[in-house]
Amino acid sequence: MKRKKWMKRIAGSFLLNGFFIICCLLALLPILYALSVSLDAKGSLLSANFSFIPQEITGEHYIRVFTEKPVLQWFGNTMLMTAATVLVAMVTAVPAAYVFSRRKFAGRKVVLRVLLLLYSFPSVLSMFAIYKLMSTFGMINTHIGLIIIYAGTMSVFALLNMKGYFDAIPVEIEEAGRIDGCDDVKIVTKIVLPLARPTLIVTGVMIVNYVWNEYIFSINFLTGSDRMTLASGLYSLQATETSGSWPVFAAASLVVSFPVLVIFFWSQRYMVSGLTSGGVRG
Amino acid sequence: MKAKSNTGARKTLIAYLVASPSLLLIGLIVVFPILYTAYISLTNMNTYHWFNYSIIGLDNYKRALFMFDSGFLSALLNTVVWTVVNMVLQLVIAFLISNLLNVKRLPLRNFYKTILMFPWAMPGYVSILLWKTGMFNSQFGLLTQWMEKLSGLTVRWLQNDVSAFLCCTAVNLWLALPFMIMIMDGGLKSIDRSYYESATLDGAGPIRQAVSITLPCLRPIIGPSVVITVFTTFKQFDIIYLMTQQVGAQTGAHIHTIITYAYENAFITNNYGFSSAISILIFALLIVFAQISNRREKEETV
Amino acid sequence: MKKTVSIILLLVLLLSLTGCSSQQETKTAGPVTITIWHDKEEPVIAVLEEAVKELEPDVHVVFEKKSGMTESLKLVGNDKNAAPDLYIFAHDKIGVYAEMGILTPITEFVDSSLLDRYVPLTVKGATYKGTVYQLPLYFETLLFMYNKKYMAESDIPGTTEDLYSYMERKTRYGHYGFVEQHSTPYYAAGWIHGFGGSLITEDGQPLLNSEEVTAALAYHKKFVDLMPGETEYATVNTLFTEGMAHATIAGPWFVPTVRNAGIDVEIAPMPIVNETGLPLAPYSGIQGVHILKVHAEEKKAAISKVLEILMNPDVSVALAKVSGCAPAMESCYEREDVQADSLIMAMRSTAETAVPMPNIPEMDVMWSVAGTLLTDVNVSGYDVLEAAESAQQKALDLIEAMK
Repeated sequence: MKRKKWMKRIAGSFLLNGFFIICCLLALLPILYALSVSLDAKGSLLSANFSFIPQEITGEHYIRVFTEKPVLQWFGNTMLMTAATVLVAMVTAVPAAYVFSRRKFAGRKVVLRVLLLLYSFPSVLSMFAIYKLMSTFGMINTHIGLIIIYAGTMSVFALLNMKGYFDAIPVEIEEAGRIDGCDDVKIVTKIVLPLARPTLIVTGVMIVNYVWNEYIFSINFLTGSDRMTLASGLYSLQATETSGSWPVFAAASLVVSFPVLVIFFWSQRYMVSGLTSGGVRG
Repeated sequence: MKAKSNTGARKTLIAYLVASPSLLLIGLIVVFPILYTAYISLTNMNTYHWFNYSIIGLDNYKRALFMFDSGFLSALLNTVVWTVVNMVLQLVIAFLISNLLNVKRLPLRNFYKTILMFPWAMPGYVSILLWKTGMFNSQFGLLTQWMEKLSGLTVRWLQNDVSAFLCCTAVNLWLALPFMIMIMDGGLKSIDRSYYESATLDGAGPIRQAVSITLPCLRPIIGPSVVITVFTTFKQFDIIYLMTQQVGAQTGAHIHTIITYAYENAFITNNYGFSSAISILIFALLIVFAQISNRREKEETV
Repeated sequence: MKKTVSIILLLVLLLSLTGCSSQQETKTAGPVTITIWHDKEEPVIAVLEEAVKELEPDVHVVFEKKSGMTESLKLVGNDKNAAPDLYIFAHDKIGVYAEMGILTPITEFVDSSLLDRYVPLTVKGATYKGTVYQLPLYFETLLFMYNKKYMAESDIPGTTEDLYSYMERKTRYGHYGFVEQHSTPYYAAGWIHGFGGSLITEDGQPLLNSEEVTAALAYHKKFVDLMPGETEYATVNTLFTEGMAHATIAGPWFVPTVRNAGIDVEIAPMPIVNETGLPLAPYSGIQGVHILKVHAEEKKAAISKVLEILMNPDVSVALAKVSGCAPAMESCYEREDVQADSLIMAMRSTAETAVPMPNIPEMDVMWSVAGTLLTDVNVSGYDVLEAAESAQQKALDLIEAMK
């Protein structure tokens, strides 16, 4: 009897791990492809005899990425812009999301519905208008201009996303805090935010990801290779028929993605202690 | 009575005050540009009147409606099908994966989770190009080569509409699933374990538990993210355009969503007045959609 | 933990703000800086950088590689803070920018009699509505290339029918007799010109349903049937570099890649269309310098100096060598080293028949419409006449929508 249960467990774990290994392979397929292209000394994106393990491995393409392009400068720019955008978007969106979740006031529903609609409008379609706006303030070709654009674009997402999570936090917890004599600010910082940590992190990581990978605004609004971000720099490396090389491009894309993965990996540790650690569920 | 409405007004004022930084930012970067686009749509701003444009009234709209013929209707239908298919698949697969990730005996959980997030870290257009040239290319693509070895058939993945649609869907899933899994995973973590424990004591199986505990608990938490994803899927442009329609690399498939249709019929003309009118029409269409879905779900989304 | 993180974030923000503001103030008097946008390969820019070095310290020239340049110029082409002073690009966007009013005629800086020194084709491409907007540097045309290992001297097709029979014989076992980017308008235009047709007239009338175009498409189709289904460059070029295609039509930029791959490549004249007696006549792109209006007045002296250097035949020859393209100045062809270069001379002779890409604004929509038409016929197998008719209608609609 016991043995049978044990067998069942083994089989289950076998299946489960098998399933995840297949999922992971699917997720990695194009990335491994890029990795192999970037390491292959003969490097070509396409080939009749492609194999995942290159016959001749070279780091040359990676060296070229770092030596021929101001990648570190781009990296610095991107870091600054990402940090600033996350900061601006979160600092403005957290209170707004909280208010929209907790307070009932006139026009609340209308504003929320309008926000959702606004999110549905592709910002690329209004790029020309954004350009006009920024150029009136002389903010074309500045990092501040782009930070404001990014923060504004992501604010809608941040507000809606966090508001939804706040809704799920039971009001009773806050009421308990109020009885203990906490004021509004304290309730938010001491009770709500720690409970909402997963959504803060998810939202923050989404903003990081957006800024990190955004290239349309930055190639159009920034000139000068010393001001570029990683994504726009990568875009300018792009392999086209007359210029650029796929192996270098592949190497650069992997280099660009790496920090995002690190940030994600790091954020994982803080994801766990969400509502569950609070222990109270309505 | 009076006092009450006074506190109500005060409450409203305070609420808006707290929300104002965010709302101002949104107003500046999102609302103003849309209004400005609406203004441009009333002008004749194009290659020939770049700086000296003037207001020409609703002419652009007349022209846009004239242009939006049968092609537009089928693009609209495609867009709806695209959104529905993608959302259903995305939700089902993400639900399955995130639940399995939370199975108790899975020591490699975090390892798997991290790997599953990889697609999301790559810049979107790079991934799309990799899929297109590396996987689906009908001469050298990896999938094509494997298919040839398995069945001896040469598949032109992106050539006909149905298979190109499926390929685009696969790529979209690949790009979008990480976010969905992450959201659902976060949501699952917030469900009180004791529910499951008492359910197990009551003899409910895993499927029963998923339906009667996980789903209802997850719904309010992931609801907003799902609605957001619906709109992201709806306005998806890059995947379909880069996979099948990029000039110089058209593959022969004719799958248009309203955004790619608008691009091919308005944006390439450099007529900003005309294409702004089309942008505004698309926006109006979205409002209509949102109203319909709102009536259905009423309290749920907002 | 959280506190330190937020403090770091704040510091970073402050730093970024000060960083941004200090960057803006660097535009003080002193040497004039000329910014040039381009989309060229590094060796080309290296030559240019070397050439303008002698202007230092009075004039400092900055070359900036810009992707998506055509779109950026539309947005910021008139913006004092963001627009470059000059840009180097093919001539085919001249019409759009001239109509938009962001370009300054080149003749305001260079005496128009000097333009006589250029190959006629290049000046023709640089002219829009009677005004010259580009100082040509070099030009490229597509070339017929073949792999010597497979195609013997006697196999070199003199006519398109010769080519077809070669393809019929050799296209098997994964090998292709001949490949090209068959559904890309830039490439397929050669066939249309070979039938005496054209995608669009000089005054912007699309000709997609004309007899010449449909005849060319129908004839071309049988060649496409012996080529791979993909039209994009990566596939076509890889087939040739991997030695699986015996011949191809490609630009001069492709030659170094091919040689690096160890292919013994040779250039042959374009085959002649049996029916018309005309050779396949590809489009030609003329790469040159354009002047933007924004800073033209204020930096007039400096821009003139830069242009003067670029008109030096030595620079032209050096550029041609690194880019694999043909110099725009006539006098360059008298030099021995240029005459010895078979690639350049092949382009020079193709230039006699090649057609400069149309530079009218209407062409902007034609690329996309013609591309769809070609895929419809070549890949989806639609009826030529019907597809051409609907493409023509579409082109007319879109051109109408531009105005």
